[in-house]
Amino acid sequence: MNMQRFATAIIISIATLNSLSAVGQMARFDSRSGSKVRIEGTSSVHDWQVEGKLIGGHVEAGPNFPTEPGQTVQPGKVDAKVEAFIPVRSLLSIEKDGKPYKAAMDDRMYEKLKSDTNPKIFYYLNELVLTEPAKSKDAPYIFEAKGDLVVAGATNKISMPVSVLPLGDKKLKISGKTNAKMTDFGIQPVALNIGPLAIKTGDEVKLSFDWMLAQKPPAAAATNQ
Amino acid sequence: MNENGNEKYNRRDFLKSGSFATLMSMMGGVELFAQNNQSAAGQIKPAGPKVKVAVIGLGAWGRVILDTLGRLSQAEVSAICDTYGAYLRRSAKLAPAAKPIDDYKTILENKEIKAVIVATPTHKHKDIALASLKAGKHVYCEAPLANTIEDAREIALAAKAAKKQIFQSGLQMRSDPQRLFLLPFIRSGALGKPVMARSQWHKKQSWRTASSDPEQEKALNWRLNRATSTGLIGEVGIHQIDQAGWFLNAQPISVTGFSSLIKWTDDGRDVPDTVQSVFEFPGGVRLLCDCTLANSFDSDYELYYGTDAAVMLRENKAWMFKEVDSPLGGWEVYAKKETFFKEAGIVLMLGSSKQSSFEEKPSEIPYVTATLSSALENFVRNAGKISTAEEDFKATVGDDDPNALIEHLAGVPREPAAGYLEGFQAAVTAIKANEAVLSGTRLAFKPEWYELG
Repeated sequence: MNMQRFATAIIISIATLNSLSAVGQMARFDSRSGSKVRIEGTSSVHDWQVEGKLIGGHVEAGPNFPTEPGQTVQPGKVDAKVEAFIPVRSLLSIEKDGKPYKAAMDDRMYEKLKSDTNPKIFYYLNELVLTEPAKSKDAPYIFEAKGDLVVAGATNKISMPVSVLPLGDKKLKISGKTNAKMTDFGIQPVALNIGPLAIKTGDEVKLSFDWMLAQKPPAAAATNQ
Repeated sequence: MNENGNEKYNRRDFLKSGSFATLMSMMGGVELFAQNNQSAAGQIKPAGPKVKVAVIGLGAWGRVILDTLGRLSQAEVSAICDTYGAYLRRSAKLAPAAKPIDDYKTILENKEIKAVIVATPTHKHKDIALASLKAGKHVYCEAPLANTIEDAREIALAAKAAKKQIFQSGLQMRSDPQRLFLLPFIRSGALGKPVMARSQWHKKQSWRTASSDPEQEKALNWRLNRATSTGLIGEVGIHQIDQAGWFLNAQPISVTGFSSLIKWTDDGRDVPDTVQSVFEFPGGVRLLCDCTLANSFDSDYELYYGTDAAVMLRENKAWMFKEVDSPLGGWEVYAKKETFFKEAGIVLMLGSSKQSSFEEKPSEIPYVTATLSSALENFVRNAGKISTAEEDFKATVGDDDPNALIEHLAGVPREPAAGYLEGFQAAVTAIKANEAVLSGTRLAFKPEWYELG
């Protein structure tokens, strides 16, 4: 082998390894429609709830991240990158039966969440640990996720259990629940005096979500990168 | 279904879903009143960026629209359009930041402008509305949608197909908080069994616009020409007729019309200045509708009569006149009353409650523009919500699934407003009523006229 052939072989080998590293090691899943986010809170008058149907962002899944139903994975730390966001104005106040509540309530919420300057709520994963592999092919994998939640421009570290359910056909559903205090994000509870009624919202809220993701076909994925 | 043939509302639903004011009323203490439009409160700024709007058609009504839009915090008038230079110049004072344009197609090419308001002469609505929808704009089209059923249908079908856009018909009463409050009140049977209804619109004015150019004058006075005008019943009465059908929850069965040209006989017009019509609704209920340009006495109002009470709607007020043998709810005893000759009217007025001391003050803008303001505000808000929802959807999940986007947009809650269907139905009724008025005959409404296909 002459020097030129040797150099060419080395370049091809490096390129192949890089390609394997990029494609084979980390599988990218992007948001698709069908997601749901819900926030529940309390007040001195009645409970309130807010829902949205948009969660954006992506998951880059390492080798130990379950992407197919029934996939064998070992408990422990998992290599994954997650960036997610929720457009604030996609959140809507609703009645208990799911019907829209009031536009005025939505406007108040957007104002509290400082949507003009912070139009998105962000989440960045810092650490993901698999605590419970799926018990069956249809069951989810349970993780403990630690990350940064950015609401109204304020960042707090949160830890929450999340479940990952591979749906097959290169689709994932990631669900989670956690509690948060509004004041931790610099959001003061709403206090209103309406005639004889003094209405004040509670500080603690419950957050829950179902995030739908899918791996895009290679052509589409390449276009996005 | 209750005895009024109304599936949607009953007394229990009305009380259950009623406002805090209703609750207080039942406890005895305040009058019924409509909850004010939230943005009128001035306490919470509507969310989202301003919506860039263009007004096409700058006649007298177009300028009222322009002036009203200028007061809305969420609207930014980016362009104004009319083919008549004098109207453009006059309107520029109302919207100094807006670009004056004489060809509406230029507006449609501007991607920044998200919404257009079509306030041209009625017979010119179609081309502009269709082109605006095709260009992806949200469209507010003045009532009536058109001066022929065929044109109105074409607009309605295009609006129906434009699933990513807002289409609002200019039936502004459908967005009026006072009327939205009274709707369940009347439909719930609070007046007893419906007996009859009456509406009037009385003005002493010529409807004529002068111009030194005879051709221009003819174009400006399109309302006075039967070939282009739907007359008093179509251009004005349409709002009150639509409201009657809305409150009674029924389409009219027939119309009998009468018309005369009494006052404005010397300017060559062939459109009557005085029209009267009788609309028959199911159950033997009839609406008597008077419109005249020959006498202004008592201006405009609507009256709904039931076996237990009558309600008069006038500007942003309403009064209930109870029969002595009607059931007593209790709250009426404590409610504010005003005397009309020998009758005591219980006030059902926007912002009249004692609660208003801790709510916002009633609007001080004139009633005509207050109702228009609610309609335009709802249009701009809805247009803003849909535009934002589309942007958010594409930013989160991409734009490769148009059906998912349409489904997402369909789930976005909207402020109350008349859509393409209400606009089309009202236009059909008004156009046919004008035919009956001009021919002085009875005309039965045919269901196929209302079919969109």
